[in-house]
Amino acid sequence: MSPRARRWALGALLVLLVSLPVWASRYVVYLTIHILLLALNAAGFNLLFGYTGLLSFGQAGFYAVGAYTCARILLAWPSLLPGVLGGTVAATLSAVLLGYLSVRHTRIYFSMLTLAFGMMIFSLAWKWRAVTGGDDGLVGVPRAPLELWALTVPLPTVERYYVVVLVAVVAAVALLHRLVRSPLGLALQAVRDSEVRAEHVGLPVRRLRLLSFAVAGTCAGLAGSLLPALENTVTPPIAHWTASAEPVLAALLGGTQRFGGPLVGAFLLVVSKDVIVRFTVHWSLVLGAVVIALVLGFRGGVVSVVEPWLARPRPARRAVARAGEQAP
Amino acid sequence: MEVLAYQGLIGLSSAMYLWLISAGLTIIFGVLGVLNFAHGSLFMLGGYLAYTLYGLVGLPFSVSVLGSMAAVALLGAAMERGFLRPLYGLDPSYQLLLTFGFVLLLDDAVKLVWGGVFRIPPIPRWLDGAVVVFGRPFPLYNVFLIAVGLVVGLGLWGLFDRTWWGRSVRATAADREMAAALGIPTPRVFSSVFMLGSALAALGGALGTPVRPVAPGIGAAMIVQAFIITVIGGLGNLRGAFAGSLLVGVLSSYGTLWFPEFELFFVFAIMAVVLLVRPQGLFAS
Amino acid sequence: MRAVWVPLVVVSLLGLASWGAAGPATCPLGVPVMRLGVQGAASGAHADYGRQIEMGAQLAIEEINAAGGILGCRLEMRFMDEELRPATAVRNARFLVTEWGAHFLYGVDSSGSAMALGPVLRELDRVHFFTHAATHRLTEELVAQQGIRQIVRVSAPVYQDAVAAWLFRDMRNVRRWATIGADYEYGYAAWALFREQMRRFRPDVQFVGAAWAPFLTQDFSSHIAAVMATNPDGIFATPWAGEAVTLLRQALLQGVFDRVQVWFQAMGGSVDVLEGIAQEVREGRFRGKLYATARYIHNWPNTEQNRSFVSRFAKRWNRMPNYSAETTYSAVYITKAAVERARSLRTDRVVDALRGLRIETPAGVRVFRAEDQQFVYAVPAGKVVADPRYPIPVLGELKVFDPREYWRWPPFQPLDLSK
Repeated sequence: MSPRARRWALGALLVLLVSLPVWASRYVVYLTIHILLLALNAAGFNLLFGYTGLLSFGQAGFYAVGAYTCARILLAWPSLLPGVLGGTVAATLSAVLLGYLSVRHTRIYFSMLTLAFGMMIFSLAWKWRAVTGGDDGLVGVPRAPLELWALTVPLPTVERYYVVVLVAVVAAVALLHRLVRSPLGLALQAVRDSEVRAEHVGLPVRRLRLLSFAVAGTCAGLAGSLLPALENTVTPPIAHWTASAEPVLAALLGGTQRFGGPLVGAFLLVVSKDVIVRFTVHWSLVLGAVVIALVLGFRGGVVSVVEPWLARPRPARRAVARAGEQAP
Repeated sequence: MEVLAYQGLIGLSSAMYLWLISAGLTIIFGVLGVLNFAHGSLFMLGGYLAYTLYGLVGLPFSVSVLGSMAAVALLGAAMERGFLRPLYGLDPSYQLLLTFGFVLLLDDAVKLVWGGVFRIPPIPRWLDGAVVVFGRPFPLYNVFLIAVGLVVGLGLWGLFDRTWWGRSVRATAADREMAAALGIPTPRVFSSVFMLGSALAALGGALGTPVRPVAPGIGAAMIVQAFIITVIGGLGNLRGAFAGSLLVGVLSSYGTLWFPEFELFFVFAIMAVVLLVRPQGLFAS
Repeated sequence: MRAVWVPLVVVSLLGLASWGAAGPATCPLGVPVMRLGVQGAASGAHADYGRQIEMGAQLAIEEINAAGGILGCRLEMRFMDEELRPATAVRNARFLVTEWGAHFLYGVDSSGSAMALGPVLRELDRVHFFTHAATHRLTEELVAQQGIRQIVRVSAPVYQDAVAAWLFRDMRNVRRWATIGADYEYGYAAWALFREQMRRFRPDVQFVGAAWAPFLTQDFSSHIAAVMATNPDGIFATPWAGEAVTLLRQALLQGVFDRVQVWFQAMGGSVDVLEGIAQEVREGRFRGKLYATARYIHNWPNTEQNRSFVSRFAKRWNRMPNYSAETTYSAVYITKAAVERARSLRTDRVVDALRGLRIETPAGVRVFRAEDQQFVYAVPAGKVVADPRYPIPVLGELKVFDPREYWRWPPFQPLDLSK
């Protein structure tokens, strides 16, 4: 896919997303917000899994930290920006702290540690009534207006809030993309491919892992902090390890070996669940079968299936290829 | 004093469910290196199958339990051979994800087959009753549970220590390639170990049928506790799993008595601490 | 490479966006058909409640359609599983209203879901008839304080569980009370209301023990043991549905019913619980010490309307109606009454039409209370006994108390939920 075609495609997608509230129904806009939040969460997760080789089952913990912190801020100070920023920062700090402890191990132990930490956050959310509202959660969180310097933008409708979410998620994903394409991104992949070799080359393995973990946690936290203003409620299930599975599944579904994979996967996961649920209550069964099939046959995800088809040689290229074959 | 002892005994009997599911989980991890997320689902299936045979078909309780163990063992064999085997040699994350896919599938499949409602069949007559322990009636069923748990423990110890099969399993766990080089049929060892683990999980679920609900989601509730116990005991450490189950079971029981505020938080905190400080488990030799 | 997913996204989003219903003819209310969105828990240990909600709504809709609909408009329903998760309940509600076009909403089992739905209902501007979720905060906070008029409750809230205090007030031999409680707001609120009232009736009463079981507990044996160690005369138990059956079974095994004087199971009058303990009740294993209430009991009141409802329900579904079935059934009929009075589907007109509404339902007469938009009605409490006239146990030796005594009345003070 040539860079020019790529840029056109990306542009078309952005136009589509920006214009969505104009031509799509309210429910579709609402659903797309959820797709965007999951896409960000999954992209962050994949930085950790696809690029750094660490499978984390604790993303939901940071998502929850972001959501609860933002909710508490909004309840006291109804202004969107401090809420979202506060939530994200809180998530980053927790990710740095827990990451410091987690990256001392790898593989199964790392995964189990993230599971344990995630569930610790869940139990705090469930039990600490004074701060988190306990099992009732935090209710009545306002969809606070966006206040930028002298400008105040109220956000009464889902469509208006969608624009805020779109801007935030696109910006974050773009930054993530820069990171992944930078030498830092290459270093992470080196760590993933061989810890020993990376060390020998002089890369600070543990610090890189921690950075990756922190960025992943930040992405989850930002996604989480965009939630309360949408739903007006934050409840403990968002911190449960089964919620951590969503970004994992999204990345797996779309493909963990490409940057765009988790984004595609998030879209597919949300849409297919929504669609399947209208026909049968057994969407989990379908999803489970899909996961099994993917892990067995298509570890590159949907992207790995579709990409070769799109990259197939075109007639002109085929002629050139044939000419090339004939050359000595 | 009697109150403490009684509460401890209750905790001991509850621990037996945890022991059965953790034993299977830790054996499978120790030998195959696979952390089977779907173990809780196998526990749940054991319960459903035993309920079907005992509550619906009307077979005797013991036959139903054994029948469900056999069926789930076969399912485990199919899972291992058909789905896990292709993934050996790849990043273990994929095995974890595969077993997670099975969780999603199995937990929903039971709703399809048995419906979403909970089931509890009547308790078998020969287990209905109580013995007086520490001045209070202690359910005969709980005595039965403790007995089964101890028998399973002894049986597993004998199996791994005294039989040829047990020795080949331990050899494969210690060094897979060497064991294969020595002529041990490692693929068959893997399958049989997975079958044993699955059967144990099914036994745990089946034993719960007359006294606990059989419903979708009971597996998911158990698997997290099983993870915690396996970590505390040491992944692959059978004795550690037993000790860990007792610890968690008895502590939870005392927690209900003393600390009504006993927090889920601390259980996970212990898990995290063990993983950080002593990942080989508290009971590693 | 990114073009891989651009066409995918475009096609799918366009497909989603073009989802819409084209309606041809309309009925007198200005819509093709009246749509009722219904939610309940459809899986897990509490799955029967969703099923019963669905059955109750369906029966009401079939009857009303057969009689000509509401002001000539046919009714249509759609049921969705809330999974006892607030996020799912909210998403379902949004889908039902904005995509499917629901005019009214019904159900939810989970109090958490109900609380989460509150603000969303205001945004969606649809009336939601709550037919199970028991939290007092739904009406005391969201309606009475915050004025969310889209919330209407048809089922008795947690106030009902405190009726135990009236039931046991005169039992002089029951002095030491303990609870095996659901470890979440419902359990705390019920125990708090019971204790508050019991202290007023009986200064000699002591509260000797408490064990709290989190949601989805499978093994109550340590909770039972802990509570029995305090030698209580009476036990107040709030776990419900499958957990109630498990709890009672495990309590029997520990010989609890030989030692206590009474056991009050708050939602013990629910059909799934009665079915689960039917054999033990027939065998007299509870020694006449098991008492319960619910939000409706199928064997009370002994009116023609109730008897007829139960028999029609049983014929249609081959099961006894649970309280969540009756409340949802009645909610649909309340909708009919309100819409007929308002002669409109507009939320504000319908809510206004509810004012002063007194309606006869299978559970008895329900009276609308405007301050918190709840329908007040009486539910009896009694002993769980076998009755040859019914396939499952019933509540016998019924005592009916005036709800004006045990319901909380505005203005509402916050409830102290400390354990």
